[in-house]
Amino acid sequence: MLCLGIESTAHTFSCAVIEKKGTNGKILSDVRKIYKPSEGEGIHPREASRHHAENSPQVLSECLEKACVKISDLDMVSYAAGPGLGPCLRIGAVVARSLASYYNIPIYPVNHALGHIELGKMLTGARDPLVLLVSGGHTMILAFLGKKWRVFGETLDITLGQLLDQIGRHAGFASPCGSKIEELASRSSKYEPLPYVVKGNDVSFSGLFSATKRIMPKGLESACFSLQETAFSMMGEAVERALSFTGKKEFLIVGGVAANKRLSEILQSICKRHNCKFFVSPKEYAGDCGSQISWVGLLESSKKAGAKLENTFVRQSWRIDSVEILY
Amino acid sequence: MEIFAILLKLVKKGAEADIYLTTWNGKKSILKIRKRKEYRNEILDNRIRTLRTVREATMISEVKQFGISTPLVYFVDSKKFEIYMQFVEGRLVRDLPSNMIIKTCEKIGKMVGTLHNNSIMHGDLTTSNFILLRNKLVILDFGLSQKTERIEDHAIDLRLFKEVLNSAHVEIVNKAWLSFLRGYGKIVGSQRRERVISQVSVIEKRGRYANVV
Repeated sequence: MLCLGIESTAHTFSCAVIEKKGTNGKILSDVRKIYKPSEGEGIHPREASRHHAENSPQVLSECLEKACVKISDLDMVSYAAGPGLGPCLRIGAVVARSLASYYNIPIYPVNHALGHIELGKMLTGARDPLVLLVSGGHTMILAFLGKKWRVFGETLDITLGQLLDQIGRHAGFASPCGSKIEELASRSSKYEPLPYVVKGNDVSFSGLFSATKRIMPKGLESACFSLQETAFSMMGEAVERALSFTGKKEFLIVGGVAANKRLSEILQSICKRHNCKFFVSPKEYAGDCGSQISWVGLLESSKKAGAKLENTFVRQSWRIDSVEILY
Repeated sequence: MEIFAILLKLVKKGAEADIYLTTWNGKKSILKIRKRKEYRNEILDNRIRTLRTVREATMISEVKQFGISTPLVYFVDSKKFEIYMQFVEGRLVRDLPSNMIIKTCEKIGKMVGTLHNNSIMHGDLTTSNFILLRNKLVILDFGLSQKTERIEDHAIDLRLFKEVLNSAHVEIVNKAWLSFLRGYGKIVGSQRRERVISQVSVIEKRGRYANVV
């Protein structure tokens, strides 16, 4: 089975082709174009969608070329239907619908968060992990139970990715700012007290955000260091609670913030303490990409037929815990 | 030689602390140690561990005056982040058969109602923090508790309990939740109960992608 996956939930417009044989998947190509806002600014949905629209033909043809397949070779096409920014989502959906209707290929609307998890599982070989999904749009601790991914803990306000991005933008960088903050943090070891808010299994970052802004004039490096230490420790505690409650023996971290080394280090030490295998999604597939969408499409196609064209909507608010998993 | 050997058996490696089975002045006892977390910055780590040890020891004793059963505290060492407390027999509510969990949820609801009526939020309401012995319910783990009258904080307690039912007791979540609310309402009164429940849905709506559009 050959599937073209299209991702366009936020910054990234990406197309990928995966070939599935039995239960194995092979990524034939994965091409991305990433919208970059100007320094100190965040994503502008209209501008991002314009970027996606302008770049979609090129990304698509490059993706097919790299995979050495023609559109007529494709068995199906899947697109990220949500959650994400409406204007951006619509671009991916339009491309998918056009291909599906013109070439008469089955079409699958796919949940973006599910893409992160399933591709992470496929690439790392994790079987039944507790998952931490950390990105600009998500901060969730999930485990699979009774046909659904259940949320064991999540952020009550902004996500970890947003926290880092907004602090970065406040300091004048262009988002995404995670790596810039990581670099600044690595140059300091001076801890300034910041609010640490764990509510049961959930975390809340909004107070931490305001407090970090307040200490930034005292020194950017120590502020970044203290921010990372506090936020990641909170995440660590929430994960540790979920691990000890669920008793899972595998742990998988996915999403853009998974690339942060300090966060990985913290989570790795927690896994060691709980005799739990640690998996992290490979850096080039941690962020948003078409492979995630393509793979979920392939998994779903093993159990259900494609969607009718009139049902291929986008859903800006589509929580992963409402998706029933059939495969 | 053997007389001096202190029996120390690790019962549970929790997220927040390690639990040992030991003796205190000849009594079977639980030792809760909040160990240094290597991954956490030391200043932050010490702040959190001190705060939670002291708070837990204080609160666990204080709630007894409201008729709530908690383990007796034998000894606290805030420098070593240790609490010695009474060993409680019985089974964790989490491990009970489904119909028993549903039934016990009403008791849990009453207990939480009593805490809230006395301006205390527990902060960690999971089914593994309650022990049932015959008909008696004992509540554990006050490390995240707070003195607060705010509706929002009380709603956070309820939301967490709901989240736990939803993720760990999927097959009985609706019945268990109703049973909990029945018990809770009996103590705090229906008016207060409705206000807290509506605040729970406000918090849930704050969740990411929770039907905003």
